This record gives sequence, C-alpha cells and structure tokens, in this order.
Amino acid sequence: MWHKRAAGQRDSGAGRRAGVSCLIAGVLALSAALPTVAHASPGSVATGSTAVELVRNFWDLVASQQGNDRQDRPPSQAIPPAAEGTPPVDLNDLTNPVEVETRLKRALAPKDGAIRVTVPNGTARRGSFIVGSAESLEGNLLVVQGDADVYGRLNGNLVAVDGDVIVHPGALVSGDVLALGGEVRDMGEIDGEIRALRSTTVFAPAAAAVAEAEAGVLATVGRRLAGVFGVFLTLAALGFGLVMFGRPNLEVVSDTVSHSFGRAFVTGLLGQILVIPTFGMLIVGLILSVAGILLLPFAVAVYGLLVVVGALGGFLAVAHAMGETYVRRRMAMGVVIGSPNSYRYLVVGLGALAALWLAWSVFGWVPVAGTLIGGAAFLVTWLLATAGFGAALLSRAGIRENFAGRLIPPEALTDEYLWATPQFGVPSARRPGGRTPTRGL
Amino acid sequence: MRGVAMVGLALALGAGSASAQSMRAFTTFRQLHGETRLQAKLHYLAGGLRVAPGRANELYRMDASYDEDRYRPTSDFNAATGTVALGLETAGEGGFRVLSRRQLRQDANVAFSPVVDLDLDITLGAVDADLELGGLSLSALTMQAGASQAVVRFSQPNRSRCRAATITTGAAELTMLGLGNSRCDRIDFEGGMGKVTLDFGGTWTSSSNAAIKMAVGELTLRLPRRAGVRLTLDRFLASFDPAGLVRSGNGFQSPGYDRAERKLDIDVTTAVGGVRIEWLDERGAVDALP
Repeated sequence: MWHKRAAGQRDSGAGRRAGVSCLIAGVLALSAALPTVAHASPGSVATGSTAVELVRNFWDLVASQQGNDRQDRPPSQAIPPAAEGTPPVDLNDLTNPVEVETRLKRALAPKDGAIRVTVPNGTARRGSFIVGSAESLEGNLLVVQGDADVYGRLNGNLVAVDGDVIVHPGALVSGDVLALGGEVRDMGEIDGEIRALRSTTVFAPAAAAVAEAEAGVLATVGRRLAGVFGVFLTLAALGFGLVMFGRPNLEVVSDTVSHSFGRAFVTGLLGQILVIPTFGMLIVGLILSVAGILLLPFAVAVYGLLVVVGALGGFLAVAHAMGETYVRRRMAMGVVIGSPNSYRYLVVGLGALAALWLAWSVFGWVPVAGTLIGGAAFLVTWLLATAGFGAALLSRAGIRENFAGRLIPPEALTDEYLWATPQFGVPSARRPGGRTPTRGL
Repeated sequence: MRGVAMVGLALALGAGSASAQSMRAFTTFRQLHGETRLQAKLHYLAGGLRVAPGRANELYRMDASYDEDRYRPTSDFNAATGTVALGLETAGEGGFRVLSRRQLRQDANVAFSPVVDLDLDITLGAVDADLELGGLSLSALTMQAGASQAVVRFSQPNRSRCRAATITTGAAELTMLGLGNSRCDRIDFEGGMGKVTLDFGGTWTSSSNAAIKMAVGELTLRLPRRAGVRLTLDRFLASFDPAGLVRSGNGFQSPGYDRAERKLDIDVTTAVGGVRIEWLDERGAVDALP
C-alpha cells in the first residue's frame, strides 16, 4: 500500500495553496515542536544539535511542500532482503547507469505485492531517507521512491530511484552518486562521480511494461510495413516511368535475365566487385591526364548515376521478368488476363519481391525465425539485384540483344519456323532459341 | 476499399512509431577535489556537441539528451590515472530511423574545469560540433573527426602551454579559429576530404610549427600580419596563390619574417584542391588586402 501518502505529507488542495504562505509560521512552530516533528519524520535521524535540527526540519517542511508536486511517496521503511536464490543488486559499480537501472528494474519488481531486494554490503530503503548530520553510514545505500537527504557521512555509493539526492552542506559521500528518475544537488562533498538520468522506468507497472512491449512490437511491425510499402511504392513508380519512357531497353534487360540468368549473375557479381576499383582507376586516369581534371566532377557524378541506374534498372528488369513469366504461365493455363503488359508484369514481379519483405515485417520480431526470414529476404533480393545488374551490364542497358534470346540461330531459320501458323497456347510454346519471339520480330 | 484501409492502417502505424522515439536526459559531473590534471576522452558519435570551460569547482560535466534506443551515455572516471571517458556510445541496435532531422537530434554540453591541466582527446562521428577551447588549461589536444561539421574556437588564450594539437579529419568541414590563442608548440593537421579553415589569429606568445596534410579539398589559411610566417608547400594538383607571401628558397615567407619576434612555420602538403591565403588584421578580422 505504498501508494498511500505518508501522514506527514498528506495535503489537500487548500492546504497546498496555503502551505507556502504558512511557511514562515511553520518554521516558528517547528522550533517549538522540534522533538515531535523530528521523530515524526520517518527517515530522520536525531543528531542532538538543535540548530542543525532546526535547519533540517525547515528543509523537511520545504521539501514536503515541493514534494506535493511529485507522485505519491510511501513512508520510509527498510526493504527486506530478497529470498534465497534471488541475485543481489551490486551497487559497487555505477559506471553504466543504464545497466544499473536494468538490474534494479528486475530486482525491484514487486513479488506477491512486496518489494524485496538484497544490496551486498549496503542498505536498501523505501521512501524518503535522511542520513543525519551526526550519523555515519557504512556501505552502499539504495533509496527507492523517495529522496535521499545526506547531512552526515556515507562511506559508499548512493543510488536513488524515483527521487532526488540532496547532499547538504557539510555532508560527505565517499563514493559515486546516481539518481534514476531524479536529480543530484551537491551542496556537500561527493568524492566520486555524480550521474543522473532524469527519467526512469524502474517502477513502471508490470502491465504498463507489457503494454509497452506489445506496443513496441506493434510499432516495429507497423514501422517495417510502412517502410517496405514505401520502398516498393517508390520502385513501382520508377518502374512505371521506365516502362513509359524506356520500354524497349527494359524488355531487353528483362529478357537477358530470363535467358542468361547464370551469366547475368556472374557478370553482376564481378560488376559489384569491380565497381569501386573502376571508379578509382577512372579518377586516377583523369587526374593523370591533367586535362581530364576538369572533367572530374562530371565524371564522378555520371559514374555514380550510371551505377545507380544500372542497379535499379536491373532490379526492375528482374521484377519485370518474374511478372512476365508468371502472367504468361497463367495465360497458358487459360486464365483470362485483362491487359498482359509491362505495367502488370512489373506490379506482379515487385509484389512477389515484396512478399518476402512483408513476411519479415510481420514476423521479424520473432527470435531466430525473424532473423532467418530477414536473412532470406536479403539474400534473395541480393541475388536478383546482382543478376539484374549483370543483365544491365551484359545488354549495355538494354541496347544489346546478344543475351536476350532474340537472335534466331541460323539452324532455326527453316520454312516451318518462318511460316508456322500458331494455333493455341502460343505464349507458352517454346520456340527454337529458347524464347517465344513475341517481340522484336 | 480494403486496400485503402490497409494502406491507411500501415501509415497510421508508421506515424505512431515515428512519435515513439524516446530521448533521455543524462547528467554527469564530478566535483573538483584538488586534481591538477585531467586526461579526458570524449567519444561522441552523432548529434550536436558543445564543449566549453565550466565551473572552477567541477572537474568536468556533461549534460546530454540522447536517443536511448540507439545510444547510451558513457561516464567513467579513473582516479588512479586521472582519466575520464565521456560521450555517447552505440547501444548495439543500429539501423536507420527514418524520421525528421529534428527528431533525431541528440545534444550534449560538455564542460571542463578551467583550472586543471587538460589533455583532451576528442573523437567525433557524424557530429555538428562547436568546441570552445579558449580559457581552458589545455596541455594537449587530439581530435579525430569523421563526417562532421566542426568549429573549434580559442576565443581566449589558453591558460597553460599546449604541447601539441593533433587533428585528423575524414570527410569533414572543419574551422579552427584563434589558433594563436591555443599556445600550442606544434599543430599537426591531417585531412582527407572536405573544407578546412585554419585561422592562426589570436595572441601569439611563442613561435610555433604547423604541419598540414590535406588530400582532397579546399584549405584556407588565415595568417596574422604581426607574426612572421613561413610556408613550405608540397602540392600535386592544387592551386595556390601566395597572396602577399614572397618566395624564399623552397618556400614562401611574409615580409619581415627574419625580424619577427614570433614565428609561425607552416608545412603544407596537399594533393588535389586549393590552398588559399587570407590575412588577419590587428583585430583578428580578415583583411581584404593581400
């Protein structure tokens, strides 16, 4: 029931408004009621010095007024040690605050409604805690869901979770200080390093954490789907432009992929390997030719553009070839297809390529399987892109038809071939030369 | 209609994820406990970075706002060796975040005590950096910059003498202002590609040497008229206009170099690009006259 506010910190709306205005009166009242208030403050430790107590209680009052703006705090109490077998939380090394936070989040998760944690060589407290000015505390100190006020001496590290660390004038902390979800006010002496992460998720409720994790998965899936959708939409737009303005070239590259896939892949592989050395040679050659230096910026831009166009155009040609093969097979099976043209081929081919990436988008978060799907999608895409790039190189960007299966071998030039009248299933009939000569004849 | 709904859903999820980037505020510092020297390594991979002299009672301080999905803050002080490692390192997830540039912005303000001898080693990734090193007690400076845009200033004189400043850049745009205030005995610069401006203005309290190597790019040297400047140049395909320097032996030097109380010897090696000379007047402003 740590959500309940401590009695001393209970407030109301009116009390909050009146609190500041009554501050001075409160100080005067404190001096009279000093012993009572000092013991009423759960984390306080009596020091015996009236002046110091007065200052400290004044600070408590100010802190309690400020604390009304913070979330509810539990009363100060010691956190019992964790059950046997539960790993302790070592606070000796605070170098990596994010890692410390992760460890604390695991350790401070309520079990059976209670928080239990073991701090080796140290103390764990819940709610605001004060080290009195005459007090000297040995070992590390963990304070959760409350501020850690140090007036005295702490020989060790200090960690506050969901609270501030206030080292008052004259106080000493011999080790490091870390505030998770708070800040550090160093009016006293701190020998070690001071670190603060302003926000923390250590006490994010478990349900919220699960919801956050689920939202994380959904967000990841959504982000990936949007990414895949965007990439393939862009490719489709580029492909449509290519069909509109460079259809003959696209078809030649596409046919080259279909008829000489192995050769295109090897060429593409070599092209990938040589693309950078060739660029280097181009640069050096132009520099050495002195006169060519003027062409250097132009050459760099053109070379880059050619490589991009080759790779992108080749990839689109592969999609075109895949779509064409699929559509023609469907037609051969008697399916009526409205407009079997290059636009349809591209859409079908890109859809097939996108399918793998969509699978990765949806299942990519699954351990092992997600990695496998992602790897497979990457590998297939790379294989096809390499073949496309190679086909673009082999066909000189669709200018040369040598590897496109369009040249009719001399032995095929027979009367039967030239005068054969196709009856049915023409698209699926395999002609000599390996490809249906529907275009280019 | 179903397709439109699916696209809408995908975009909505995408938009939702776009706002999911979480920036986290981190602060680290250390009080000064009589230390007289500090060896600081500042490793900063991406975002905006500002370095400046800090409070005298703090050895160092870093206030950072970082993307917790991709980075984590570093803050490690070793009292035995007097070294501190600060900055942001990758959290290991990597990948691209397709969001607006503003959302990607990480920022860090780093400050060092001006009263402690500082040996500063800075490594920058893709960073927009503004480093004010004037007013510190800089005893040595080492800086490596990748694809960064950096301005290094010495607006005030260095409080102590600096042994050497060694700067290495990749494809970066670097401007170093007021190098005369750096009080470095030696300045070594090695640049790969980019645009570099080295301003040797400021108060020269002793003579200094500078060795500058630049592969490809534009190098601008801003030279003080008060100091005697000697420049030796080894260039391959780089343009160079002496602009007020006169040839002497195998190099160029400013008129009155031999009589000058403070001398600045600069050795430039460059391959492709250009070396440009600008002169600084008494106020440190660029003088139009050669």
